[in-house]
Amino acid sequence: MKPMALSFLLFLMVLVLVAMSLSFGAVSLSLNEIISGFSPSSEFYFTIHEYRLPRTLLAVLVGGMMALSGALVQGVIRNPLASPDILGVSHGAGLAAVVLMTLFPHVSVYWLPWAALCGGLCAALLLWLLCGSHSSAIKLAITGIAMATLYSSVVDFLMLTRPLEINNALLWLTGSLWGRGWDQVAMILPWLSLVPVAFWLAKRMNLVQLGDDVATSLGVSIPVTRLFVLAISVGMTAACVSICGPIGFLGLVAPHLARRLVGGRHQILLPCAIVVGMTLLLLADLVARTIDPPIELPAGLMTAILGAPYFLWLLLRTK
Amino acid sequence: MLRFKHLSYLRQCVVLLLVLLLFAWLSLFTWSIVPVSASQALMAIMAPDDAIIAHHIVLDIRLPRVLIAGLVGACLAVAGAIMQSLTRNPLASPSVLGVNAGAALGMAAVSTVTPWLGFFGISTAAILGGAIAWGIVMLLGTAWRGGNEHGRLVLAGVAVSALCAALMKAMIILHEDQASAVLTWLAGSVAGASWHQWQHFWPIASLSLLGAFLMSPTLNLLNLGDDNARSLGAKLGWTRVICSLLVLVLVGSALSIAGAIAFIGLLVPHMSKALVGQDNRKILPLTAIMGAALVVMADTLSRAIIYPTETPVGAIIALIGAPFFIYMVRTRTA
Amino acid sequence: MSLSTHDLSVGYHDKAIVKQVNLSIPDGKFIALLGPNGCGKSTLLKAIARILTPLSGQVHWHGENLHKIPSNQLAKSLALLPQTQPIPEGIKVFDLIAYGRSPYTGFWGRLNTEDKRIIDRVMQETEVTELADQLVSELSGGQRQRVWLAMTLAQDTPYLLLDEPTTYMDLSHQVELMHLLRKLNQQGKTIITVLHDINQAARYCDHLIVMKEGEIITQGSPDSVLTRDMLKTVFSLNAQIHQDPIAKTPMCVVE
Repeated sequence: MKPMALSFLLFLMVLVLVAMSLSFGAVSLSLNEIISGFSPSSEFYFTIHEYRLPRTLLAVLVGGMMALSGALVQGVIRNPLASPDILGVSHGAGLAAVVLMTLFPHVSVYWLPWAALCGGLCAALLLWLLCGSHSSAIKLAITGIAMATLYSSVVDFLMLTRPLEINNALLWLTGSLWGRGWDQVAMILPWLSLVPVAFWLAKRMNLVQLGDDVATSLGVSIPVTRLFVLAISVGMTAACVSICGPIGFLGLVAPHLARRLVGGRHQILLPCAIVVGMTLLLLADLVARTIDPPIELPAGLMTAILGAPYFLWLLLRTK
Repeated sequence: MLRFKHLSYLRQCVVLLLVLLLFAWLSLFTWSIVPVSASQALMAIMAPDDAIIAHHIVLDIRLPRVLIAGLVGACLAVAGAIMQSLTRNPLASPSVLGVNAGAALGMAAVSTVTPWLGFFGISTAAILGGAIAWGIVMLLGTAWRGGNEHGRLVLAGVAVSALCAALMKAMIILHEDQASAVLTWLAGSVAGASWHQWQHFWPIASLSLLGAFLMSPTLNLLNLGDDNARSLGAKLGWTRVICSLLVLVLVGSALSIAGAIAFIGLLVPHMSKALVGQDNRKILPLTAIMGAALVVMADTLSRAIIYPTETPVGAIIALIGAPFFIYMVRTRTA
Repeated sequence: MSLSTHDLSVGYHDKAIVKQVNLSIPDGKFIALLGPNGCGKSTLLKAIARILTPLSGQVHWHGENLHKIPSNQLAKSLALLPQTQPIPEGIKVFDLIAYGRSPYTGFWGRLNTEDKRIIDRVMQETEVTELADQLVSELSGGQRQRVWLAMTLAQDTPYLLLDEPTTYMDLSHQVELMHLLRKLNQQGKTIITVLHDINQAARYCDHLIVMKEGEIITQGSPDSVLTRDMLKTVFSLNAQIHQDPIAKTPMCVVE
């Protein structure tokens, strides 16, 4: 019963944050004004419908998916320090997107998510090739970080040598929800179809926690499960990164908090991680744009400022 | 290279010094918008003539730039070598362990909040910021206990770097008027080098380099492990404090002049260790020469790569250094 | 003879640790695998449990190649408890033991009454009932070992493979474990366990298999296997064989 009550509480929190996210901004709106804002006749229709609603929806979708993919990666690698951004997947996706933007500026932005997806997949594959499936937790994390460093230095190089396109890329690279609209929501919707697949894998992921030998003896094929889960996770991460840019540490922190709240059974952990991810990103975005209006901080900075200390604390606890 | 390895240490040093001088000379005249010939570059130093524009360019623009690039390279490389001995961790270097990011945060804080402090304020802020970041990394990475936990220290460094970078970006965005200065600095470049900067830079840098060379026998003892070092009479606490201070002054002063240049401190000490083994008395001078040569070369390249636009030298070194970092991680962590 | 190996070689990176082993596992026995460190007994056990793929040769299960049989089907017949286990974070003892039922449950892992009955039974047998709501990560080494054993038992298989199950246990729990295993064996389970302690094996098991350098040296009842010559050739020990005054089983005493 306790996890149920907790989930309900978290869900309530998401609703409150959604309401707050719709309400705060350059103009603060009351609850009534928000509700009336959904009808085209209202004077707030434009603000709500064209600006705040898609943005809030994106925060919910991206937050949930980033957290879910983090939970999947952590589960399947049995590594509390793993997450798509620590493994270099986000940076790989970012690099691919920057390459597209700077080297082929005439290509339509609709190809951006696909480029990012390819980049993310390549980064994951490369890491797999470098480390194999039997690396220790810390080695995998550092190799991922080393790869991420390489990707980001190439990104820096591209941006510094082609200063004309820098603004576009910089805006995208900081990890922000600013200026995102219905187009982006439509882009991310197809990827939601991966969420049920993740739930379908929950039982196997439980068994993967027991170690390769025991899991095999319980009838789970480790390489197949790993490949499936990582592919889903990379897909979701790349989709999120292609739309909002790399939102740091979210995929690491949300699943951890969820695990502390409801334990390690993936049937409960995965939904809880999703809700925690939504909460965190909504909160980060809200703080980022209300801290010093009208200047907006990217939400990715807020998650990094909160997430990095959490990572350090985790590092201290990892034996 | 193989044959070079068998030369005596002194000859290796001399050869590398000649290479450094060659790079420096090349850097004086190549890829200049106003044409400067190879001989003019020499003549400008030997017998300067006010009437020739090329001499002015060499003396007022190119020479301080080469000198600063070389000294910055030497400082960062030696700092990396000291950090590797101090932590007994082959992956240790200023950029990996968060010193760069901390220094950047300190600079951003000072230049956005109190821009009137000027150069000294900025370099002090860089040193302080780097010191705090590094201290946190060492504490959290349990580095003082030594041992084989190379990865943990690096992860702590990465997390602290990420935190500092995020805070710094937030500061820049909130104080947009100072943003361009900090962003230029972040790219890491010696393009703006002047004699004025050199005058502030060289006394501190060369004194700390000298100090580092004097500490090298004690650093050798640290490589043996805490207990052995203590039984051989090393005062561990003091050695660490002095060496840490040296590292901070070296890195802080270099970074405040040239901006965030990463990977030199990781790359160069390993190159010289491959040549002369583990003796710090030999490593440190060689590291200084090679670091200087590498940065001078990279700086020349930075002008060449998209001539006539200048690419920040930091970006070029990062492109060389990052693959090396991956190689190190693969070979040196369990 | 449901389980047998035919010219089985197993190892890591093409280096054979188990060499050309032909072995038939007698059904319904309590079997101990003995041998000095690095003799390949754990490797052989893992190959029989289909964790390791053979370099050459085959393991047969009812006459079929074991590695060709669907893994989830075998999970209802063979259970393995490895020597060391990871410590899963945030998992309660009950949940961990319930994971042992996963070959029988649907995709969501929902337990029916039969599953719950079996879980209750194995928790009583391994004396972990009162630990049910604790986190696995907060248990002591010995408690954790019993919980993992319970998980393996919950798999409810006719064959049970154990790799040094007594390692982290104190003496009284070791004795209890061996008694429990013997009881399970009398109920019809075939048990194959790697053991370090020769006297323990001789006292509780009814079939010993002795290995050295990847090959099987001898096998049979404790009386026939435990000899002065065997101890000399396999363990390089000079020892006398006496009779255990209580169990009347052979027992070696080092000179």
